[in-house]
Parts: sequence; structure tokens; C-alpha cells
Amino acid sequence: MSKQLEEEFIKQLDENQNIVHKICRLYTNDQHAHKDLFQEVTVQLWRAYPKFRGDSKFSTWMYRVALNTAITLYRKSTRRVTTQDYESVQFKIEDQNEEDEQMEQLTLLYGAVKQLNDIEKALVFLYLEDKNYREIAETMGISEVNARVKMNRIKTKLTNIINP
Amino acid sequence: MDQLDILKQNWQSQTDNSPRFTKEQLTGLLARTSSGIVKWLLIIAMIEFVVFIVLGLVSHLANQENHTIEMMGAPFYYGSMIFHYVVIITFIYVFYSNYKHISISQPTSSLMNKILKTRRTMKWYIWYNLTYMMLVGMIATVLVIPNDPKVTELLASPEMAGHETAFYLMALGASFIVFLIICVVMYLIYQLIYGILLRKLQRNYNELKRMEI
Repeated sequence: MSKQLEEEFIKQLDENQNIVHKICRLYTNDQHAHKDLFQEVTVQLWRAYPKFRGDSKFSTWMYRVALNTAITLYRKSTRRVTTQDYESVQFKIEDQNEEDEQMEQLTLLYGAVKQLNDIEKALVFLYLEDKNYREIAETMGISEVNARVKMNRIKTKLTNIINP
Repeated sequence: MDQLDILKQNWQSQTDNSPRFTKEQLTGLLARTSSGIVKWLLIIAMIEFVVFIVLGLVSHLANQENHTIEMMGAPFYYGSMIFHYVVIITFIYVFYSNYKHISISQPTSSLMNKILKTRRTMKWYIWYNLTYMMLVGMIATVLVIPNDPKVTELLASPEMAGHETAFYLMALGASFIVFLIICVVMYLIYQLIYGILLRKLQRNYNELKRMEI
């Protein structure tokens, strides 16, 4: 493939690599697996890139390829959740007064999301990325109604994980 | 406000200690090969196609050596062989066209569906081969026995008088059992290989399907 195409791809990937990192963080439990999944996503993105015609935004296309890789192509199981790992995820909290309490709550929530299954994680991820139900449904290949229903169930499930 | 929206508000600010890749590192990643299941499906399928084609050719050469073709009758022998290779070529075509339609950028549920369909093609390919081997094997047994000088000699001996039918049935029964054992072993190997490869995919696919009910 041409040098120009490669440069163009690397530029877009570099600008959007945070999306892939967020997915890797959600679907893996240690640094090694994180890098491994990141690499597989990159390979898949690059292989599919010639067919990406720009009728959607690069990032939209990237969500799809990256999630598909994590859910479908990536072989290693992602079931095990070790507690110390997700605690490394940090959030920047603006209100200094409530920092500790809110940080604790966010860590708890993130931990709960990590306990969901692969499909639920994908829905939650897209929701957190501020995608609307139509986009979530299109990415997953389900109907909008089902995406909405499932999302409500996931919210209940998360509440139950946090307050058993 | 519900729990998830609290996370959503802070979602974009998340960090952890995993490093950001530099452009050079990203370029380096492009040269890597995929370790995903689609690549493995292709490798396994290639092995399957090659194994059964080679097996067919080897048995053809062996049959030429020991005059099985004359005993079986050329029309049946070559007829079944041509049929067999036509079916194999059809399978290769179906596999290839399924495989070509696996695109990582399609919606998750149809991607999973395409992968499972490709795997099903290979499952049918194996079952076809086993059935073919069993049927042709048994028909060949029936055709060869009356023409095999060794068998004729054996059946002509006084001890065997009156037991010809029993002999035929035993020969058929024995070959049937051998094929049955091969089938069971193949089935177990397959469950193992595809089980390891596709367990996660199957689980996630079922989860997606459950949502649609």
C-alpha cells in the first residue's frame, strides 16, 4: 500500500488512538493484554482502511472496527476481572471539594462496568461515548428498540452490582 | 440522575498508566500480522481442504497398485472420484465466498453471523467427507469381495460353506465400526479446535441473539 495512504492512516489513528485505548482498558485487565488488543485493533483497522471511503467519520468507523475486534476477533478471554487493575484508571475531577468522594464513586462504577459481559460493555461504551441509540443499534446490528431496552436493563444491573 | 450518567460526565477525562503510542510506534504496528480468529479459520480450512484432497490422491495411488479398480469396476470407481472432487471444489468456492464477505467494519451481529456461517461450511465439509468415505467404503467392500481372489478362495473352503452371508455382514459391520470410530474421533477433535477458537464468539453471539427476543 502506498506511503501516502499509510501516512494518512497513521495521522488519523494517532488523533483517535484514545478511543482504542479506552476500549482496550475496558476489555483487558493488564498492560500486556492491553497492548496485545491495541495491536490487533491497529492491524484490523489498517487492513480495512482501503475500503473506508469516508462516507462516515473516521472515528465512527473506528468504533465499529475496534469493538468488533474486541468482541469478535480477539481470542483471549476477557472474563476474569482482577480488582487492582481497574483501580489504575483515573478520572480528572474538577470540583476539588468533592474530589475524594466522587473519585470513589467513579472507581466503583467503572469497576461495575468491567464486570459486565462483552456485549453489555460495548453498549455501555458507546453510551458513554455519547452515541445516540440509533448509532448504538447500527454499530451492534440490533434494532433501536432492543438497544434501548437492553441499556435500561444494564443500568439496573449496574445499580445491583454497586448496591448488592 | 442515574449512575451511568455520572460516569458519562467524567468519561472523557479518564487516564491510566498505559502509554500513548508515538507515530513511529503506530507505524511499526502496521507490519504485524493478525492473531484474530478469522485468520485461524482460514488456516484450519486450508488444512482441511488439503488433507482430504491428499487423502483421496493417496488412496487412488494405492488402489492402482493392488488392482482394486478392476475389482470394483472402473465406472463406479471413477464416477465416485469425479463426484468427490466436484463436491470438494464446490465447498472451496462456498467457503471462499463466505470468507470474502467477512468484513470487520460491518455491524457486530452480522460479522458474527458471517464467521459462524463460514465455520458451518467447514463443519459440513467434514461431515461430507466422513459420509463419503463411509458410503464409498461400504459399497466398495460389497463390490470387491466377490472379485477378490483371496476372499473367493476363503469362501470356497469347506468350513465356510453356508456362511457366505454371515461373512459379508461381518465384513460390512467391521468397516462400519471402523468408520464410526473415525467419526467420533474427528468429532471430538473438531469440538476441541473450534471450541477453543469460537467459544467467546459463540457466547457473545448468543448474548446478542437473546437481546432480539
